[in-house]
Amino acid sequence: MAMLKTILGNLLRPSRTRAPADMPDVPTVYRGALAHDAARCTACGTCAFVCAPKAISFTQDPGVSVSWHFFIGQCSFCGLCAQNCPTQAISLDAEVPTGMNSAAGDGLRLESIVRLQPCTRCGAAHVPLPDAAIAALWGVEEAERGYCPDCRRWAASARLRSAFIPAAAEEVHHER
Amino acid sequence: MNLIERVVAISRRRSPWICRLNAGSCNGCDIEITPLLSPRYDAEQLGVELHGTPKHADIVLISGTLTLRSREAILDIYAQVPNPKAVVALGSCPASGNVFAGSPLVLSESLDSVVPVDVWVPGCPPRPQAILDGIARAARLLEDGATKSQLQNWQGRLS
Ligand code: SF4
Ligand code: SF4
Ligand code: SF4
Repeated sequence: MAMLKTILGNLLRPSRTRAPADMPDVPTVYRGALAHDAARCTACGTCAFVCAPKAISFTQDPGVSVSWHFFIGQCSFCGLCAQNCPTQAISLDAEVPTGMNSAAGDGLRLESIVRLQPCTRCGAAHVPLPDAAIAALWGVEEAERGYCPDCRRWAASARLRSAFIPAAAEEVHHER
Repeated sequence: MNLIERVVAISRRRSPWICRLNAGSCNGCDIEITPLLSPRYDAEQLGVELHGTPKHADIVLISGTLTLRSREAILDIYAQVPNPKAVVALGSCPASGNVFAGSPLVLSESLDSVVPVDVWVPGCPPRPQAILDGIARAARLLEDGATKSQLQNWQGRLS
């Protein structure tokens, strides 16, 4: 009787165990395609440096932007880039995009554009730091938030100088 | 396309035979084909059958880094696959050379420069789901007559 039921079931149902769309869930800790958050990236280049197969590269449009590029066809999903990014701008999704027809290129290529901003003191274009990094490294002094690295150094030495020579502090503060 | 050709094309999609070609792989990609044929992922529910010889295959799965010596083997085996045929590239290695790019005797270029590739399956190694999806896509391309080799043959016949 049980056999008849199986035979009848096989006749009426498609002979599928699991359809491709209904595959076992991928554990969330599995490393898949990269995601990049341009707002957190400082374009430091650490990710490109640690990537053994050179899946990450940079191009720049001087004075305007820096682009972070990723080519999935060169990635070995080791996760070193996400581990070494000082600002956690890179994360690895659990999912990998499925097959790609070559009409759409030979795989996923990501481009993430980090826009340069003018320094609020000298006007030099620079990569803005994420707020959390500014708070951790340079305190939260409002005037220094939009400074370029040179002006941040200038501000730090001005603070240092004012600690030794209090009278000179007023003259140099935020001049130029 | 007449009725018989149509039936043949549909049958080919419903039962694509595959053959596996290791072009210098670390074996990671090839190991992932084994669960694909197991009951868990069950490629045979799509009619996929693994064959040892390229002469029986519709779809060739090529895995691994291309090397100077495997280049000849790929061309040789690809030529033995009867038309119409589709090529599925598994993993990062055929796309770029992956971590091996730049080594001596490794062709640090895409497999597309050796044989026409129809579907790229990303991953290192790709997951069995992704490989199955790649095979299903290639089978659909074969039915539509849209694989690169079919299009080339078609253009050859026209000119
Ligand atoms: S993603 Fe992270 S490691 Fe890479 S350049 Fe940006 S901040 Fe640096
Ligand atoms: S996961 Fe590894 S191989 Fe992929 S981009 Fe990051 S560092 Fe490179
Ligand atoms: S893509 Fe990764 S798993 Fe596949 S052969 Fe290359 S190194 Fe090995």
